[in-house]
Amino acid sequence: MTDTHGPRAQGMLRLGHCAFPPSQPLIMGIVNRTPDSFFRPGLTWDERAAMARVDQVIAEGADIVDVGGIPAAPGAEVDVAEEIRRTATFIGAVRSRYPDVVISVDTWRHETGRAACEAGADLLNDSWGGDDERLADVAAEFGVGLVCAHAGAQRPRTRPFRVAYADVMADVLDRTLRLAQRAVAAGVQPDRIIIDAAHDFGKNTWHSLEVTRRLAEMTETGWPVLVSLSNKDFVGETLNMPPEQRLPGTLAATSVCAWLGARIFRAHQVTESRQVVDMVSAIRGDRPPARAVRGLA
Amino acid sequence: MITSAALCPAPPLLARELTGADPVVPTLRDACLDAAAALIADAPDLVAIVGAAAETRAWPPDGQLNLSPYAPPLRVADRTSALSPPPQPAPALPLALGLASRLLDEAGYTGRRELQSVSDQETAADCAALGARLASSSARVAMLVMADGSARRGLKAPGYLDDRSAPFDTEVERAVRAGNLSALLTLDPVLARELMATGRAGWQVLAGAMTGVRPVTQIRYCDDPFGVAYLVASLRAGG
Repeated sequence: MTDTHGPRAQGMLRLGHCAFPPSQPLIMGIVNRTPDSFFRPGLTWDERAAMARVDQVIAEGADIVDVGGIPAAPGAEVDVAEEIRRTATFIGAVRSRYPDVVISVDTWRHETGRAACEAGADLLNDSWGGDDERLADVAAEFGVGLVCAHAGAQRPRTRPFRVAYADVMADVLDRTLRLAQRAVAAGVQPDRIIIDAAHDFGKNTWHSLEVTRRLAEMTETGWPVLVSLSNKDFVGETLNMPPEQRLPGTLAATSVCAWLGARIFRAHQVTESRQVVDMVSAIRGDRPPARAVRGLA
Repeated sequence: MITSAALCPAPPLLARELTGADPVVPTLRDACLDAAAALIADAPDLVAIVGAAAETRAWPPDGQLNLSPYAPPLRVADRTSALSPPPQPAPALPLALGLASRLLDEAGYTGRRELQSVSDQETAADCAALGARLASSSARVAMLVMADGSARRGLKAPGYLDDRSAPFDTEVERAVRAGNLSALLTLDPVLARELMATGRAGWQVLAGAMTGVRPVTQIRYCDDPFGVAYLVASLRAGG
């Protein structure tokens, strides 16, 4: 899917037992098993609160539940054992409660990916650009999906420092497509591979805005595109808003990405995100209105 | 020989265009501009610009600041008049040299300039030798050194917190404040890299350029508003 002879059509995306056509945008609800994430820190650190959060995001229309055990920002070390303790056991509980929901684990480590797959995860969401090459092997072994993200040259849990790109979108395409090819070579099923521009990761605000503006260049590769925009710093810096006031900016970016063909939207505020992507779907002509009687009676 | 020098940091946000509607660091920019103005007040016949980059080499004096790697919508800044565009666009400079070149433009300097990048792989001795060579390249040399301290000065810093940052940056500031530049030659390149202090080589070039000189110095700015140590200073020989 990497030739450069014009846009390639999007195909079916398979996650768990489900098959999703290109016309069906998906919301990935964020469930952090961390005490220190940037948005509402510690909200779902407690396991019961985390399960209540799972209930909530599913009720609000999430198609995928994304469970993470480590914040993206630098901070206290979370080793593999602790990360597994935070995520895998909980994923098992979610799987028991919701046999059919798509469950994703937010990790870059293959050990955590393996434990999560054994507990029932369907998707390995690696935001750190394939830092651990063996993660793709785990995805292949378990027949699960894999997110191939662009983090520039950043190592996990590092902040961008004066990052510069001759062409940021060219770098995004180069790195994510190479990761996708590597995943195919490792045996990951091609219809379970997703690419992600990873806004804010290895990028300043100008870079994230450029990637948003040019997202069509990613969707035209044929790979399904995930965007993780929710309350991020590029929204905060653009509008000069603290994390708890970034929803309007998040939704504006969400609608642009939906218009340009992104298919998965990782979000904290599921209800609002669901409405935005469904509305854009209708504008694109991918989805009929829920109810249309105006002028029709 | 060297008559004066200026030290400025080279963060991308020194370029006013990059911080959006909010100037963010006007006092830092003013301090840098004041340092550039003071640098050329002694009528140098050459300004040598030194800044960090991937490789050590000289750059064309008409090279231009290129901000597009940091903000794609921004093109290479055009230093020439729109009425007389250059026949061929001047080459894009590494960020530190481009920012320095712009500072000299803004200060009104139109004289001769030499642009020199220095890699963080250079030893202290190599940096000092480079500084000595630049200082001897004309009768009245002024040197503008773009150099940054540690980027690991706090939990929110680009490189997160490293407790060794504060003493490292303090040592640099003390050496500059006292005009005791030879102390800069003892900075450890490995520690500097670990602390993400990109200015180490530049400081050591300056020390080499001012060997045997105990300059009078003025600190114009010394702070770390974003977890990176910024130091702006003016140094005059013959004090």
